[in-house]
Parts: sequence; C-alpha cells; structure tokens
Amino acid sequence: MSEPSRIASSRPAFAQRFFTSRRLCFLVAAITIALLPLIFTSSYWRTNLIVCAINVLLAVGLDFVLGYAGQLNIGQSAFYGIGAYASTLLIMKLAVPFWVAFALGVLISGIAGALLSLFAVRLRGHYLAIASLGFAVITYQILLNWISLTQGPLGIYAIAPPPPISLPWLPSIMFTSLINLFYLIAGFALLVYFILDQLVRSPIGETLTAIREDELSAASLGIDAPKWKAFAFAVSSAVAGAAGCFYASFVGTLVPDAFFITESFSMLAMVIVGGMGTLIGPVLGAILLTVLPELLRGIGDLRLIVYGAAVALVVLFMPGGLVQVFRIVTRRWFSPGPKVEVLQ
Amino acid sequence: MLSVILQQGINGIVVGSLYVLVALGLTLIYGVLVQINFAHADIVTLGAFAAYFAAHLLSGNYFIGIAVALIVGGVLGWLINAAIFAPLRQHSSELLPLIATIGVSIMLQNGMLLLFGPIPYAFNTPYSSKVIHIGSLFFTLQNLLIIVVSTATIVLLYAFMKFTFLGKALRAVSQDRETAALMGINPNFLIMLTFIIASALAGMSGALLGPVLVLTPFAGTSVIVKAFAIVIIGGFGNVEGTIIAGLIVGLIEAYTTQFLDPGLIDIVVFALLLLMLAVRPTGLIAEKRAENV
Repeated sequence: MSEPSRIASSRPAFAQRFFTSRRLCFLVAAITIALLPLIFTSSYWRTNLIVCAINVLLAVGLDFVLGYAGQLNIGQSAFYGIGAYASTLLIMKLAVPFWVAFALGVLISGIAGALLSLFAVRLRGHYLAIASLGFAVITYQILLNWISLTQGPLGIYAIAPPPPISLPWLPSIMFTSLINLFYLIAGFALLVYFILDQLVRSPIGETLTAIREDELSAASLGIDAPKWKAFAFAVSSAVAGAAGCFYASFVGTLVPDAFFITESFSMLAMVIVGGMGTLIGPVLGAILLTVLPELLRGIGDLRLIVYGAAVALVVLFMPGGLVQVFRIVTRRWFSPGPKVEVLQ
Repeated sequence: MLSVILQQGINGIVVGSLYVLVALGLTLIYGVLVQINFAHADIVTLGAFAAYFAAHLLSGNYFIGIAVALIVGGVLGWLINAAIFAPLRQHSSELLPLIATIGVSIMLQNGMLLLFGPIPYAFNTPYSSKVIHIGSLFFTLQNLLIIVVSTATIVLLYAFMKFTFLGKALRAVSQDRETAALMGINPNFLIMLTFIIASALAGMSGALLGPVLVLTPFAGTSVIVKAFAIVIIGGFGNVEGTIIAGLIVGLIEAYTTQFLDPGLIDIVVFALLLLMLAVRPTGLIAEKRAENV
C-alpha cells in the first residue's frame, strides 16, 4: 500500500505545486468534460463517452469501499442493479417524478449496501468477498425470477430519458440528445468525485484508512469500525445506485443480464488497472477499459481475449496500476535529486 | 411421493458429488495458499470440451476423454500457478491474484467462445442412454459412473492426504508454511503440486459434468459460483466439510427444482451461504484458521 504523506513529501516542489492545486485540476476536468462531446461528434463516440461517465461513477464508488476502507467487495453489480431497477420501477409503476425516483434509487442502494456491511462486521478478506458475491448472485436471480415486478429476462422497455430541465430565462435543456445527457452524467460524476475527494482527505478518510490498515489498532484508538464500514459501504453502493439510474434512463431498456456478477468483475478491473486507493486511478482505469474494447473492435472476437490478458498483465507487472506508472514517470521527469524508491 | 423424494435424492447426490470435486480443488488451493483461483471454473469447462473432442473425434472412448480432461486440467493448473500465483506471492495481497485470475477467466472463456462457438454442444456418452430401473426409481449408467468415479477420487485424495508423505507435507504447508519449510519441505513444489491436483480434479469433473450440463464456453460460471458457496459452507480449507456441503448443495438443487422452481436454486443456495456466514462463519466443521473471521 502506498502512503500518500510520504509520496507528497518526496515529490519535488514544481510538480507538487502543479499537481496538488486541486482547483486547477477540477477546472481542467470541467473544461475537458465540456470539450469532449464537441471533439467526438459522432453519435457512436458520444455514446461511448456516456458509457465512460457511467463507468467512472461505478469505479470511483467501488474504490471508496475497496481502496480506502479496504473491504473486499466483489458484488458491486448488485447495487448498480438495485439502483437501476428501483428508480425505473418507481417511475414506471408509481409515476414518481424522475429526480425523486433518482434520489430514492440512490437511497435504496445505499441502504442495501449498509445491510451488506452487517456481514463485513464479522467477515474479512475472502469470506467477505464470497459473501458479497453471494449477495450479487441473489440480487441477479431475484431480478431474473420476480417476473411480475421486473418482467424477468424479457426486460423493461421504453424507459424515458430524464425530463427536460427548464430554467426561467433559458431554453429548457432536453436530455433526449446525447450531448446533454453526457453533460448531465459527467457533471454528476465530477460532483461525486469532488465529494469523495473531500471525504477521503478529511478525518473520515483517515479513519477508513486506519480500519483498512489495521482494524484492531483502529479500534484501540476508539474508532467504531462497524459504523464506519457501514458508512463506506453505504456511500459506495449509493454511488453505484446513481450510476444504475443513469444507465436505465440512458439505455432505455433494463434486463437482468446487465447486472450479472461479471459486471462486478469489470468494475474491479477498472479500479485495479487504474490504481486502487487513489481516486484518479479508477477514473483512468474506467476510461481505458471502456475505450480499449471499442478500439479493439477491428480484431473482432479477439478483443475480449486481449482485454482479459491486459487485466492479468497489469496486475502482474504494475500492481499499482496506471497511477503507479504515472508516478514513476513524473518522478523521472521532475526530480533532479536522488531517485526515490517506488512504493508498492 | 416417497419415490419422487428418493429419485431427486439420487439426482442431487450425482450433481453434488461433482460439485464436491470442483470445490475440493478450490479448498485445497485455499488451504496451501490462502488465495482464490477464479479461473478454476474455466478449467472445468475446458475439461468438458477436451473430453468431448477426445471422446467424439479421436477415439469414441469416453474414458479416454476423462483421462485427457484430467491431463488438460493439470497442465492448465500448472500454467496458472506459474504465470499468476507464483509471481504474485511476493505482494501478499488477497485481491491481486483474484483480479488476475478474473482476467485469465475472461481470456479462457472468450478463447473457448472463439474456438467452439456459442451453440451448446450435445455431449452424449454411451452411458447416458442406458437406464437402470430399481423399482420405481431410475438412473442412467452415466449417473452411476459419476458417483463411482467421484467417490473413488475423493477416497483416493483423502488417502493421499492422510497416509502418504506428500499428503502429510501438503497438510504441513497449509498449516504453517514457514515451519514446514524449516523442516525441509519445499513449499513452492507443494503449491505447484496442489495446483496440478486441484486443476486435474476440475478438468475431470468437467468431463463428467459435460453430459449433464448445457455445454457452452460459459458453463463453468454457474458451477464455480456454487463451488464457492460450498467451500464457504463447508469451511475454507476443510475437506470433510466441503464433501458434506457439496452433497447438501446438490440435494438443495434437486429438491428446489422438484418442489419450488429451478430459477430459485441459486437464491436458496446463497441464502444458506449468507445464513451460514452470519451464524457460523467458520463453516460446518470449524478449523483453527480464524484470521478471516
């Protein structure tokens, strides 16, 4: 595990000033989000941009519980599915307004996550991993078999996009166009990133890291580990729930297969490939692993084999992910002083 | 009514004994390495395909198919250990090997998809059509073969673990790797051996499952998910517990299909798993391995 404080102190002054000025980074991110759909104008690439934004949400959310709180949750697809189905069913069966359904979907996913954390109180490591996997399997099977509610494998069709937002002195913003939908989801992802960034750098983040590193020592310092685990699970699954709600209104159809356990694995891969325990890592991982299969379309059926190999190779040769590579590169370029040992 | 219960009991034990073979492999690996091999499922699938092609194309003899599956599984296990688990041991992370084997699993599944296509294969052995009647009960010769082969394998494995020097060394490594190394046991060799044995078991159970399952490149996933449940219900690293839990899950599957709905199998199995984790997280037969609970 890398220790942020040591890395920060070993970083040279110029790089430190440049990379730690968070306001600048958020400004750059916002401008990038604004420019991206203007650069990629085809509807194919704009669709991919939206998928990227949804995956960024999922990866960042998962990393909060996995990388910061250190809880081995490999069933994140459950909360993604719960958010998607809860919000969609509220809209379609009970005619709840979109944003109310969105908030309720996020809330329900968060509560489901807190429920799973009840297991995390007693279990660690692989036991928690299998428990969360079991939770995801059960959720998937319920979505598949509760046909009167979810229509099972037939799926739910004709889900409306988010309703237009009408501001008083501007034309109303329609979300039927891909570009506006991208701005909505990517903007939300940026907001979530900002909130999580504040969280992990606050005492709460230190608390979660303490639980990750040594639960017993954390408890001896008066940290109520079960409570904070529940908090981490709830935040993480609420973010996944929000992603699910956006997914439903973006794709327009819901089938249980979209929330099969393999979906959890691809989220895990994004977090690991990007760099677990950092926030920017999962963002990079999500973008890379969303775009990579698209770029590999040329090689047809081989693309998923390459994808699987890429995931395995990243774990083998750069277990710190893209962030680790980035750190090595910046250190080489900006550091005139003695080489600093790369922390693993 | 009684005959239905008995009939489903037979079906449950047939499937359950195969799950035991798959789960034993996982539990053996967990015992020595405290790691999960996610690609174990795909060794099962690949074993089924290997047996299919060996039996259908090369010879027509099902037993040669089983032997080929055994070898294919063992070789694949050796490769996965050498390529993934051995290099990653230095990190002592629970998550990295898990993710790496998920990558391997994606590779293997899509490789098989490329080679064999998505259409399910009809894996018929000369024994699947021969039906034996005992009163109102019936089972195929294939079912009998599955029970005999898996029981024999389990007994052999048990004897190997209990009575041979290698088996004792293996148990020593899973109890305490450092002390075992001090006693002159080479842990790396034994970990490799465990992988080969466990994966050969997976390949063989694939050969036996092939005629029972819907054989597609993704067939292993549903088996492995249940095998994980079995391993936890039985207690990670515990052989006896795994056998009992495997048979219980097989029976649950058979009776759920008969009396409830086939779609509910996974829900019932995993509800039992979560209940087990909540009530008795050390598994049916507790071992003195408490670091994860």
